[in-house]
Amino acid sequence: SERPVLRAIIKVTLLKHEPTGKPLTLEGVFVGGSAGKAEGKLMQYHPLSLCNTSEDERQESDFITIVKLEHRVHHCLPLPDKARMALDKGAQAVIFDIRNDASAAAELQEVDSLPRPVVLVEDNNAKELMDLVNKNEEAKVVIEIKMEPKWPHYD
Amino acid sequence: HKPISGVSSGCQQGGCLTCSDYNGCLSCKPRFFMHLERIGMKQIGVCMTSCPPGFYGTRSPERNTCTKCRSECDSCFNKNFCTHCRAGFYLHLGKCQENCPEGMVRSDAQRECIL
Repeated sequence: SERPVLRAIIKVTLLKHEPTGKPLTLEGVFVGGSAGKAEGKLMQYHPLSLCNTSEDERQESDFITIVKLEHRVHHCLPLPDKARMALDKGAQAVIFDIRNDASAAAELQEVDSLPRPVVLVEDNNAKELMDLVNKNEEAKVVIEIKMEPKWPHYD
Repeated sequence: HKPISGVSSGCQQGGCLTCSDYNGCLSCKPRFFMHLERIGMKQIGVCMTSCPPGFYGTRSPERNTCTKCRSECDSCFNKNFCTHCRAGFYLHLGKCQENCPEGMVRSDAQRECIL
């Protein structure tokens, strides 16, 4: 049976506006049965950085990885493996901007048992996040499951 | 060649072949090395003729890349051959170690084991 698609609420607060800053609220879609809560500093990873387990920088605090996928970059690994590698590198969650990679969603929807949240973002949700990254505006991200309204039961 | 939105093939950096507004270089021209540079929360691709200190170059048919040296090395030829050590480590036969073999002493100035 087809697994229900769970949507993610992504709340973004600029560190310079903490603690009173009003978060920017965006949305995405959980994949791989990974729906859940996560929190951390937003950290961009280049798509090519998730290719091998070379000894690279270790982040000090909890962080959430964001990767803008590019269909023009040969996937050195299948996307599910890239997601697992990012989580193995210590990410509390992974966000994939799939605006430039139409096949990414299909590839990731089929996955099972991802240990922590993996979220796909598109359209303006993706643009807002990546514009923050481009301006190097340090931000804290909180990911939660979007509670869909329960329709009253009509007999 | 019409650049796809967000991906421009006309890259400003000399060695870039294709690049994107957010990821920087996506691929490099022949003989250039792809180095993934961390700038705060950003990580962008940069194409270089040689890798920066603390990294070594690896060539392959698909892509030439810069890879980080072992953590105890300041600079290296490759993963297994350091050329200069981090403070607190001493170079001997391409390895950075905390102690020197018998008969040798630690030179803090050069960070090497010497006779």
